[in-house]
Amino acid sequence: MSAGVAARPRSAARPAWLEALRHRPLLLAVTGLVALAFALVAGLALGNVSIPIGDTVAIIGHNLLGWPAEVTWAASAETIVLELRLPRVITAMAVGAALSLAGATFQGLLRNPLADPYVLGTASGAALGAAIALLVPVQFALLGFGLLHVLAFTGALLAVAVVYRVSRLGGLNSLTSVLLTGYAIGSLLAAGLAMTMYLSGSNLRQIFFYLLGSFSLASWPQVVVGLPIIAIGSVVILSRARILNGLLLGEETAAHLGIDVRRERLLLLGAATLITAAAVALSGLIGFVGLVIPHLVRLVVGPNARSLLPLSVIYGAAFMAVADLIARIPGELPVGIVTAIIGAPFFLYLLRTNRAGYQL
Amino acid sequence: MNTRTIGIASALLALVLLGCQAPPAATPTMAPTQTSQAPTEAPTVAPTSSPTASPTDEPTASPTTEPTASSTVEPTASPQAQFPRTVVDDEGTSVTIESEPQSIVSLTPANTETLFALGAGDRLTGGTDFDDYPPEAAAAPDVVVQVEVLTEQIVDIDPDLILAGGNNFTPPAEIQRLRDLGFPVVVTYPETVDEVLADIELVGAAVGADEEAATIVAAMEERIAQVTDAVADLPQPRVFYEIGYLPDIYGPADDSFTADMVSLAGGEPITTGDPVSFVIPLERLVDEDPEIIVLGDAAYGVCPDSVAERPGWDEMTAVANDAIVPVDDIIVTRPAPRLGEGLAALALAIHPDADLAPPTAGTSYCEVPATP
Repeated sequence: MSAGVAARPRSAARPAWLEALRHRPLLLAVTGLVALAFALVAGLALGNVSIPIGDTVAIIGHNLLGWPAEVTWAASAETIVLELRLPRVITAMAVGAALSLAGATFQGLLRNPLADPYVLGTASGAALGAAIALLVPVQFALLGFGLLHVLAFTGALLAVAVVYRVSRLGGLNSLTSVLLTGYAIGSLLAAGLAMTMYLSGSNLRQIFFYLLGSFSLASWPQVVVGLPIIAIGSVVILSRARILNGLLLGEETAAHLGIDVRRERLLLLGAATLITAAAVALSGLIGFVGLVIPHLVRLVVGPNARSLLPLSVIYGAAFMAVADLIARIPGELPVGIVTAIIGAPFFLYLLRTNRAGYQL
Repeated sequence: MNTRTIGIASALLALVLLGCQAPPAATPTMAPTQTSQAPTEAPTVAPTSSPTASPTDEPTASPTTEPTASSTVEPTASPQAQFPRTVVDDEGTSVTIESEPQSIVSLTPANTETLFALGAGDRLTGGTDFDDYPPEAAAAPDVVVQVEVLTEQIVDIDPDLILAGGNNFTPPAEIQRLRDLGFPVVVTYPETVDEVLADIELVGAAVGADEEAATIVAAMEERIAQVTDAVADLPQPRVFYEIGYLPDIYGPADDSFTADMVSLAGGEPITTGDPVSFVIPLERLVDEDPEIIVLGDAAYGVCPDSVAERPGWDEMTAVANDAIVPVDDIIVTRPAPRLGEGLAALALAIHPDADLAPPTAGTSYCEVPATP
């Protein structure tokens, strides 16, 4: 199913190093995994309390891998590394992976380069859910999960379900119809969100920080519940890379290739929405990653989903872990600001070096 | 797409929030006469946590949010410092403290000040970047920067006791996490002057300084009685205590001890009309027509002459009569041991002729060149 790749014109304007990387997805994957490992260690060793890197590695090795190390570090260092930083780094990586994989999926599925994980209303649905949760006077917390997580997750899923349902009734070409419906429902939900925020009084600040996105409250129970959801959805998407390639050629061609277009589209849409909803419930609304990481990867390796999807996972995870690290060094910046500030210029640079021949 | 809508909403909110973090900074008409105090301290206590009007009553706090007017200490606290002991904080949470805390982290400037007054300042191992009184309080490492709680720092300090603020002043999720990590967290949020006194006893009980707390409270009660006696037979003008101006007008919430302070100081308080929000609409203020305006934001450069120039304010009796008085906001709105002096300052602002000793604390602002 590599027809989608072979048909594309090669650009002469690409620098040699980019062109060389294009044919080495495996090299890129290994580089990405090394970056991920570095991000993990840096994410555990750095923070507003400094813990020597040797201690950090020893704490992880001793507690998680059973190394027979002599305990020379303070108990507080262990708590910081194991209870605060490790779940935080893992959450950041899972969310980064989920958002960029979902972004790549939505871009391919909707054949629209502006699509991101939030395009069909997940963001507005989750934000409205979270805002309502903060207004409800009854609070419950079970294993670190509050009403906020549950309602944000449900809100994201519901929003897309409504968009999907309503768009099938419209008479337009189905992709346009889905996008426009997503826009309309999203606007409606955003109005609901604005209304809720207006009514929220002293909780406004919490809603605001939720909208900016942050990993500062990540905890183990959240990892234990969120990670499997993201893993399952990701496996579903990754196993359908060939089908996504087929869908990129257009519905009719895909159908001729023997793809059950309706079923596969629903499945991919469902899985991408599921992992987006889980990511959003864990960390709030973090923009940019889901839009740009897939484009970055595509700029380098081209549009073949079999390379694009796994590389989006790896680089999305590494990028988010680094962004979160940068966000917490000066105190606690909202991570969404960091992703845009470090990602956008790099993206512009790559776009400029690829003036000719970029296609989905 | 729809995320853009949210983006715009967030940007607007950012403005609102930035505005209320530092409401007074927006009107730098005059430099404060004294700059040793962190210029954004007191208003952040209140308006940051509740920037808009709303009928909701802090739902994120624990559902049983019944501010307990008295600090409950179960093992009889007659001799100094019997531990372990259990105290009930202002959100109704029972907190057990195993032994007399030797390492205490304070997440609000008021609790920091109370600790020092109790003689427990040397046990403060982490404070906020707003801690300004007593001066040595600023020396403790900051574990709250702006309003962000640095959890890692706190874990690193590994305190025996954490003193936090209610009504979203310390983020409720953060309080929960610190408790999950095994730290005893006592939350204070007084809604009346009596509750400020009770909170000082609560903190005293938590740190094992019961007798010191009793002494402080007795002295404060005496000073408060002096003030209430002095204003008892005086008329009660309608008073607006301005906590901040721009982008919104910030005044006392209905259920805030600042409103209670105005009543005790012999005024009829004009409040925001909401139990927890500190924003008052201009229309409400014009309608309530203050006879006296007390400028708590004088410490941040807002002085009487600028008030008359505000659009819509010249309708008010206080502005027409030039009855606009600056005070030192820190001692009036910080729920800490200097509150009795703050009350005296407020009473003298409302009733300049009251038979009352001038406050022994605080700073005067907006001084006019003396004219005999």
